[in-house]
Amino acid sequence: MPSSTSSSRRLTASDRPGVAQPVPERDVPAHHWGQIVLGALLVAALSIGGWEWHWRAFGATPASRDDAALWARQRARIDHGDGDATVLIGASRTFFDVQLPVWEQLSGRRPIQLALNGTSPTTPLEALADDPNFKGRLLIGVAPDVFFSGFEYQGNTFKVYGKQSPSDRVGKWLSMHFVEPYLAFYDPDFALFTVIKRQDWPLRKGMEGGTQVRKLNQAEADRSNHMWSKVENDPIYRALTRSIWSEEFHDPPPTADELVEQKKTMYLQIARNAAAVARLRARGVTVVYVREPSTGDYLEYENGKFPRSQAWDSLIEHVHVPGIYYDDYPQLRSSHYEFPEWSHMKHESAERYTRELYAILQSRFPPEDGSRW
Amino acid sequence: MVFNTLTFAAFFLIVVLVHSLPLPWTQRKINLLIFSYIFYAAWNPPFILLLWISTVVDWYAAQGLVRAERPVARRAWMLLSVIANLGMLLYFKYGTFLLHNFAALAGALGVHYSPPPFDIVLPVGISFYTFATMSYTLDVYLRRALPARNFLDYALFVTFFPHLVAGPIMRPTELVPQFEAPRRATRQQLCFGLGLMTLGLFNKVVIADTFLSNAAERVFDHGSAPGFLDSWFGTLAFSGQIFCDFAGYSTTAIGAALCLGFFMPDNFRFPYAAVGFSDFWRRWHITLSSWLRDYLYIPLGGNRHGPFRLNLALMGTMLLGGLWHGANWTFVVWGGLHGTYLIVERRLRAWFKGYTPGPFVLFGLGLVTYMLVNLTWVFFRAKDFPIAWRVLRGMLGMNPDAKPILATVYIVVVATVTPMLVAVHWFMRNRTLETALARVPPLVIALALGLMITLIAISQGTGNAFIYFQF
Repeated sequence: MPSSTSSSRRLTASDRPGVAQPVPERDVPAHHWGQIVLGALLVAALSIGGWEWHWRAFGATPASRDDAALWARQRARIDHGDGDATVLIGASRTFFDVQLPVWEQLSGRRPIQLALNGTSPTTPLEALADDPNFKGRLLIGVAPDVFFSGFEYQGNTFKVYGKQSPSDRVGKWLSMHFVEPYLAFYDPDFALFTVIKRQDWPLRKGMEGGTQVRKLNQAEADRSNHMWSKVENDPIYRALTRSIWSEEFHDPPPTADELVEQKKTMYLQIARNAAAVARLRARGVTVVYVREPSTGDYLEYENGKFPRSQAWDSLIEHVHVPGIYYDDYPQLRSSHYEFPEWSHMKHESAERYTRELYAILQSRFPPEDGSRW
Repeated sequence: MVFNTLTFAAFFLIVVLVHSLPLPWTQRKINLLIFSYIFYAAWNPPFILLLWISTVVDWYAAQGLVRAERPVARRAWMLLSVIANLGMLLYFKYGTFLLHNFAALAGALGVHYSPPPFDIVLPVGISFYTFATMSYTLDVYLRRALPARNFLDYALFVTFFPHLVAGPIMRPTELVPQFEAPRRATRQQLCFGLGLMTLGLFNKVVIADTFLSNAAERVFDHGSAPGFLDSWFGTLAFSGQIFCDFAGYSTTAIGAALCLGFFMPDNFRFPYAAVGFSDFWRRWHITLSSWLRDYLYIPLGGNRHGPFRLNLALMGTMLLGGLWHGANWTFVVWGGLHGTYLIVERRLRAWFKGYTPGPFVLFGLGLVTYMLVNLTWVFFRAKDFPIAWRVLRGMLGMNPDAKPILATVYIVVVATVTPMLVAVHWFMRNRTLETALARVPPLVIALALGLMITLIAISQGTGNAFIYFQF
């Protein structure tokens, strides 16, 4: 083994101008590197084990990482044989409140879940309208503050589909089989910098605070999803999630100009939906909009910002397809369900809600081709 | 395939296992070649064709150079290689840039020209492997080296996956001889190589992506003018990010090659401890700067034709070096600033000839160098000139009404990481990693590597591409 201690400075091409460069030197420091690597692996196993233990003690359990690659896998099903399936798009309420296993029990087929947290469904709706492979049934969830503002918290997700490299796809497959089922800490909410960032740092003068939404859900490999048990059972964590929502509710009232802009955006979203739905209807796709329930301060905020008469009613008038507004159906009213943080249902509530919603869809708005939702 | 992904981890494990099988040497080289093509195809399979074109053209050009007797014929073979490689680069990397600039020039002359859409994907690593293959024919043309004895060794030199997409930019004389006789990593090399890969990935995933990239992104992509503090911290963050990103890639590549028994050259030598810009360029992206020196600066005349021609060659080399990084005038300005620094430094060195600075002055000059390098990073990071001016104005305190952009956590992180980074560079200034490690107790190394692995795992990096992939 060559010793590196004989020379403190290794020559490089920068020291040899204008000549053919020789085979580089590469020393190995005089240690037992096998033992060092074994020691490093032991240290890593212990410290990663400690980190894992910490998050399991916090209440985390292994779950599928709901990232753009997972969404793309579900989106790809439409173009690879499942184009006649029921597809769910919307924001987090569609993601949390519609339970795929229950739906499958009732219809005999599991729907494709494409709803995304904090993200308007209008862009994926337009993509589905432009995709001739999609000929199934479409349920569009409406969370007013996200839907009518066109907000796309996870907007980059849509760009991933169709642009993944073979390496990206293999990486997700490996992650789904060898990492996600075993490690509870492998969740964006527990990533190192996210944890550092949410410590109680003093606010710089002139800066507004803003807490990032915490982990609320547990997803599975096919994006079947439900509320995280900690939100349901831990009153302190539940209070935290509510307080984070509340930060949004106390913004100063919009100025007249902002109100005009807000309305303009709302009508733009409605027009985009109407155009996309018309394309889907032209090829026989059954489409239904659903305004999922919410409660408490969140509902008050939504009603104040996007009153039903101006937003929802206008949407349904323009898209010319049926809409289910939760308050119009006694069995869907929020009083029947539990909303630990005002916006999303407990897992058990979501299962009941799915049954009721499915029954309404199948009895009142059955697919025109005679299939089941 | 990116080093900081699970896909690469699985791929590399398979490569090491297959390479260690008791197979004939030629078969093991064929295996490495196939694995290298898989490595490249995992990103975008059709672009393998470009790699093949570059490989085959330069192979035949070098063969032609050997057979050619007349200078004209030799020059023709050399030009074939240069035109084929630069042609690919021009088309894929600079096509849009050239069209837009042509349209702007036509517009300035009163002629309206609207270029057709030119939306093409930049093949990853094209700037690196075209330079590697060109160095093969240029070395043969300049009679610095003989061509490879067989096509397999040459093709493996071009395609060898550790250096393929982001360097270090290998010269044929550095790698081809390593393929001539059977090589297998010793246990020591394999384990040290794994240690280097850990260090490289720690730099990339933890320091660059986790700690620094967010602050840089917030300042440079925010859309509003940053104040003094935000401008400096955003720039310092990018300064650390780009070093840790690229040096991290190089260290991982060197470690990966070592695990297979091959040696690759250093690409960085603690550049933020440089005193002066000629020193900086002997420490930063060494394989590119030496490539530009050997195949551009020296052929342009170098220091053989007096100060004026020297300065011209220097500036031309740095401007083209800037453009190599990306099809944007901001990169040209970045190169131009470095060219200016180098010219001014030469003049200062002539004035202060014989002066040897003491340790404090040396450190002070190092800090001045570091600060001036940071100014150039503004142009490198900014997507356009308005952003660059905005940040530069902020650094000069000329955005007094700017609202704060970086939250306290980013300030604290950058304020912690940057001095540590600079301190490490100064400590390592006249050392190599190996000489320093030889003096550290093995237990401490094991502990440090273990913690690095932990931090890589708990950072949960999402496989962000290396910054230099876009070049």
